[in-house]
Amino acid sequence: MIEFSNVTFSYEAVRRDGENEEAAGVKDLNITVKDGEFLVLTGGSGCGKTTVIRLINGLIPAYYNGEMTGTVTLGGRNIRDMSIYDISGQVGSVFQNPRSQFFNVNTTDEMAFAAENRCLDPDEIKRTIKSTAVSMRIEDLLDRNIFELSGGEKQMVACAGINVLSPEIIVLDEPSSNLDHQAIKKLAGILRSWKEQGKTIIIAEHRLFYLKDLADRMLVMEGGRVTAEFGADKIPELSYERCEELGLRPFVLKEIPFMRKDEKKVCGSIELKDFNFTYKDKMHSISIPELEIPEGSITAVIGNNGAGKSTLVRNICGLEKRCKGIMRFRGKSLKPKGRLHNCYMIMQDVNHQLFTESVLDEVMLSMTDKSLGEDEKAKKAMDILIELGLDAVAEMHPMALSGGQKQRTAIASGLASEKEIIIFDEPTSGLDLHHMKLVADQMKRLKETGKTVFIVTHDYEFILRCCDRIIRVDKGMIGDEYDLNEKTVGKLLDFMNINDGGNENV
Amino acid sequence: METGSRTAAGKEMLKLDPRTKLAILITVGIIMMSGKLTGIEYILRLICTCVPFLLLISVKLYKTAVISALILFATVLCEGFVIPNTKGILNLMIMIICGVISRFGPGYICGWYVVRSTSVSEFVTVMERMHFPNIITIPMSVMFRYFPTLKEEYLSIRDAMKMREIGQSIKNPFTYIEYILVPIMMSTSQIANDLSAASLTKGLGAGRKRTHICSIGMTCIDYILIAAMAAMLVIFFVF
Repeated sequence: MIEFSNVTFSYEAVRRDGENEEAAGVKDLNITVKDGEFLVLTGGSGCGKTTVIRLINGLIPAYYNGEMTGTVTLGGRNIRDMSIYDISGQVGSVFQNPRSQFFNVNTTDEMAFAAENRCLDPDEIKRTIKSTAVSMRIEDLLDRNIFELSGGEKQMVACAGINVLSPEIIVLDEPSSNLDHQAIKKLAGILRSWKEQGKTIIIAEHRLFYLKDLADRMLVMEGGRVTAEFGADKIPELSYERCEELGLRPFVLKEIPFMRKDEKKVCGSIELKDFNFTYKDKMHSISIPELEIPEGSITAVIGNNGAGKSTLVRNICGLEKRCKGIMRFRGKSLKPKGRLHNCYMIMQDVNHQLFTESVLDEVMLSMTDKSLGEDEKAKKAMDILIELGLDAVAEMHPMALSGGQKQRTAIASGLASEKEIIIFDEPTSGLDLHHMKLVADQMKRLKETGKTVFIVTHDYEFILRCCDRIIRVDKGMIGDEYDLNEKTVGKLLDFMNINDGGNENV
Repeated sequence: METGSRTAAGKEMLKLDPRTKLAILITVGIIMMSGKLTGIEYILRLICTCVPFLLLISVKLYKTAVISALILFATVLCEGFVIPNTKGILNLMIMIICGVISRFGPGYICGWYVVRSTSVSEFVTVMERMHFPNIITIPMSVMFRYFPTLKEEYLSIRDAMKMREIGQSIKNPFTYIEYILVPIMMSTSQIANDLSAASLTKGLGAGRKRTHICSIGMTCIDYILIAAMAAMLVIFFVF
């Protein structure tokens, strides 16, 4: 049993990377989690759900400093009397970012890592790893290099590592943020098997559709407090409208209405010809003889992990010099170099594309027009910042901004470079409803100014909100392409394969 | 070429103990870096030139092995037979080019081999066997994991720079370095934070004993190789 009584925690300092928003503390929290319960914590960014997770797995107070009152007990013992080593034997953790939760490079070593730290017998560990891999059907993930795996595969390895030690309590912090629908389905299957084994599971999550049939109880948090509670009997009654009211992502994706009426004005088209490209590792390739995309529209690029979505947009962007393909755009035939002049990509990790010391400098850096003086540049940059609601932070260091502000700073520099094609790589991964809506509105504004937008995404709700056209990539080829309207929504939903709410046992 | 990763099982023909690998690295490094171009030292240098070739063959990188062996032998033979017979500028140029390649090349390849063929957990195991304290072992083992991370980060940042059409390395080397370093430091320090937190929840406690699933042990070949390396060093320093 886990018990929070009157727990208040506030972080000591604002972290320099601006994640204070995400890591806001909790206030007067009283939660009791029974053994074997499946508890879902949800709420907007900064609601305190991550803090709850950290209080359970011992990272607070062992790793994150701050002021704490009240008591948290695990099985009757106060966490303050336990070292994080003691706690780590009882609580297993899966984190949001699959890139940064592995100590080892080799997958098998990583699965063994927690058990090795607990001094279990090596032969026993090896046997458990083998049986775990068989039962999870991930034998092909054994003895691999972590850096070669997709996000979904990495999360599988993290779950396998937990199975090897098999702790009684398992906490997960937004485990689905970087996963496609197939991988989420697998994750749901693992959660189900844990539930059947009687583990206590606490999961903090924005995307709720895959948890519908798993959750015993759901707590909605806001500002560090629990604002609503739903039991297993009430969760199926949460309709799309009700979720929207609560500021939550929906439980049933099928219910999301398609409500867009905006007339499409197609003024021209972008043609891709002979886009054939293979990476040096020969693992991923695309071969697209011809593809036409309406100019001035928002196109979603969908497909499973490894289908070639990223390869396609990298080539559209001109980042792969060896690609011989030609893009016809406004009467010009563009080779990779020319495409680089016309395209701008907002990467999934925007930290990689912010270089300067202030937001304003960042935008001015993109203005390569030599005829403009510094003052003119600054004025133009300010106009762009006002448009994106960033004028208040113009003098701040980009790294001190929140995730959403960083993303908009990157968009601002794309706009400043006057590129006509803007590409986004999973812009909504890990976003709550409110922030997802903001990004969708941003996309629409880009479209209004005449930009052509490509979005690589797995987010069904987001696609319904803003995309006009769907390109489905399958094994490096175009599997399907269609305009999104009332008739084709069903097709998209079918591809996402989520009619059942992700409850299929894998 | 990926660094920091053990090749998948069965890819290696010869599995050496990490201690043997270190002995090879140190010996080849010393002899190639500081050996003279005449007499017994030159013969030792010739022997050491073969080592990278054999190591690369053992991890089945045949093409790289042959190419690097050809280059290394060409430079070492140049040093032995061409340099004494040339004069002036030509002599100087050959000496500088061959010198750089033959003195740093083999050590570089051996180092690359050590990093590539040793997994993090093998490394930790061996360090513990040699009674190094955790305070040294754990940061060093994280370093192993960091090479591929740095590479990933670097590649994304370079792409971002290409898209911004900024930082041409030739025109502005300092700006280029700044633009690469700032985002790398930011994102790697973030990764390091997350990584430490994740390791703590997996029970990586200071000062506690761990078990190991990897089998590390000195075999007959390891002893022979270490003896050979020791012998070469003795000859090198005594004669």
